[in-house]
Amino acid sequence: MTSIPFSHKMGAHCESGTVTSLLNHAGLTISEPMVFGIASGIFFGYFHKHKSFTFPTFIVRNRPGDIRKNIRKRLGVEFQTYSFKREQDGIAKLDELLTRGIPVASQVDFYYMDYVPSWERAHVNVHFMVVIGKEGAEYIISDSYFPKPERLNEESLRRGRFAGGNMSPKGFLFFPQDVPNEVDLKKPILKGIQKACFNMLKIPVPFVGIKGIRLFAKRVVDWPKFARDTEHLSHEVMKINILLEDQGTGGAGFRFMYATFLQQAAEIVNKPGLKDLSSELMIIGDGWREISLFAARIGKNRDLGPEKMKELSEMIMERAQVEEEFFKKLKQSIK
Amino acid sequence: MKEKEGFVDCPEQQMILYVEKEDGHYGPMQTGSYITKNYIDDYFTKRNNLVISLREQINRREISPVKFFMIFEDLTINELSARTHIPLRKIKKHMLPGHFEQLPEDILNRYAAVFNVTIEQLLKADPGTELQNAEATKP
Repeated sequence: MTSIPFSHKMGAHCESGTVTSLLNHAGLTISEPMVFGIASGIFFGYFHKHKSFTFPTFIVRNRPGDIRKNIRKRLGVEFQTYSFKREQDGIAKLDELLTRGIPVASQVDFYYMDYVPSWERAHVNVHFMVVIGKEGAEYIISDSYFPKPERLNEESLRRGRFAGGNMSPKGFLFFPQDVPNEVDLKKPILKGIQKACFNMLKIPVPFVGIKGIRLFAKRVVDWPKFARDTEHLSHEVMKINILLEDQGTGGAGFRFMYATFLQQAAEIVNKPGLKDLSSELMIIGDGWREISLFAARIGKNRDLGPEKMKELSEMIMERAQVEEEFFKKLKQSIK
Repeated sequence: MKEKEGFVDCPEQQMILYVEKEDGHYGPMQTGSYITKNYIDDYFTKRNNLVISLREQINRREISPVKFFMIFEDLTINELSARTHIPLRKIKKHMLPGHFEQLPEDILNRYAAVFNVTIEQLLKADPGTELQNAEATKP
């Protein structure tokens, strides 16, 4: 078996990049920001304590898997999905699909992807990439985080697909089975925006949406209490930069990609107000990027005393304020 | 963010950043990682210091290699339990050197597989090539 002809393309984010590549392969021309926006990908959640995290952390996107599920619901794309109790069944199914010439998305623990440089690796069970072929004992992987297709040995893919723990992949595979040739994007765009506004403004949980950003701002000053030592605190504070910029967000915790979606959406739904809001979100994103750079700088300098942590907290609190106003305006704009 | 402000020269870690193009449209640009470009030395310094500190604790017989790798790979005890299928109370014991030294090979294998190292590396608390390659992989 060799590689299936597949147009490899880098994406900002692993799940939206994977879904976009598969839809493009199936004949539907759609951009990654459009997939992300229709699927209500923009989000915020803060976890001060969680049994699966060694340190307080936050997320800036909706629940893993929801991009695919929302695209199915809103665009009418049917995805064939598989998960497995027995590893050998999962391995056999992947090989069979590849033999049939079907590129398949696979959920894995990022840590076992040998083509990833050591400093980028982390045990995260919700990484998505497309398997596009197999040569001997190596799979050929189209991972949207990388400029070209990579190779991965069978054992590493097996470990990644069948890692246990929180959100265990269970060998999960999916591919689009039935894709409409043309879709009217107007309703899906409006539905996607409506749900994103609900997620950011209305979910009655104190650690999600705007409330989650405020909680992050309030609790980040307590981070030193959780750290083993100054270097550990420095590492965790610098991870704010990684979570907002490097971990597949398109910059500023997905704010730049969502602004791109709103700009594209404005023309399709003929609501010029969305274009103004896209510019506003780009500026809000610049503020998140300032937080990223500030976190990296104080972490590197070990300048992590109460005053700097308070300054960081105030910068985050300011983002909560501007995002609350932004999402209220966004909600109004689609009525 | 303007396109010209977004470019970072870091071929070792490429990524997509959404930026404002010259014509006012927003779109993707391929660029490099800012933090890898500017702070990778600091990352490896901290990782090296962490290894030294944890190995000192092993030498003082305060922790076992299980605890070493749990901290090194940023796993909680709940995560390690779910991944190895070893009960929490047993892992708590395995984090102590006395209990760890008596572990049978099949249990060691389960830990080694999750930590993605060989049994030899597990026993030596050797995280492998990451730190040895630090110099070579520096952007």
